[in-house]
Amino acid sequence: MGILPDEIKPAMQGVIPSHVATCSLDGTPNVTTVSQVYYVDPDHVALSYQFFNKTIKNIRENPRALAWVINPETFESWDLALEYEHSETSGPVFDVMDMQIEAIASMTGMKGIFKLRASDIYRVISATKNVGERLPLSEIDIASGTT
Amino acid sequence: MYAGTRDERLCPAQTFVIGAVVHPDQETITFFVPESRSERILSDLKSNGRVALAVSLLTHEAYQLKGSYISSRPTDTKDRTVQEIYRSKLLSAMLQASYPEQIARPLVLGMAYQPAVAMTFRVEEIFLQTPGPEAGRKIS
Repeated sequence: MGILPDEIKPAMQGVIPSHVATCSLDGTPNVTTVSQVYYVDPDHVALSYQFFNKTIKNIRENPRALAWVINPETFESWDLALEYEHSETSGPVFDVMDMQIEAIASMTGMKGIFKLRASDIYRVISATKNVGERLPLSEIDIASGTT
Repeated sequence: MYAGTRDERLCPAQTFVIGAVVHPDQETITFFVPESRSERILSDLKSNGRVALAVSLLTHEAYQLKGSYISSRPTDTKDRTVQEIYRSKLLSAMLQASYPEQIARPLVLGMAYQPAVAMTFRVEEIFLQTPGPEAGRKIS
């Protein structure tokens, strides 16, 4: 049995963007939106490497990251503490991510800009379901926009 | 909007942010973090002061502001008004950008945004974060 529970899988389908925090070796944090945190296996996730941006630079210096993912059906969210392991530029994980990024790019008007260079594979150190950051769905008046 | 911090071991943390105010000096910003996510963020800020604030539009235009923590306090009535305006604008923007209503409404309206902590920092650097080859370029 791995760290990631089955119930987290819907949060990794790219329906709602996720957020990833990293930190450079000089101690400067960085936080960014990612279109998807990919489920690889119960102990690993993958993030896309599309540009040599600050997140990639930080991860190559300091392998620790924190990702926030949210289930688009229940709106439960998790914090995933991650550690970068390696990058893949071919193989089944890369192929699936490449296809999904093409689809996301097409849907979000970013075709030709989003392009997968590598799948960065991370080991999941912990997965913490967040408590108290959401109101129960039953308390939200969706129609009127009030809570 | 999202804020990022890190602890003494350089382990990062992050939180969503519900509303922010740019002060008249154009150098300091106060952002509002729900209490449910504030403990780790405040602990990091009080120990090393480093903070990143990511701001973006649904057009993908995005910026990253880096700076140093100044102070924090519980939010007041005025802050709550700013938070409510932010929620309302965020929801409108998501619906305009064709997010499905059944996701956008509960996602935004379901944020437990109160009680919250107002955190103020001094902006020292601004970076472009719009996806593309220019992402990460320092602009100020």
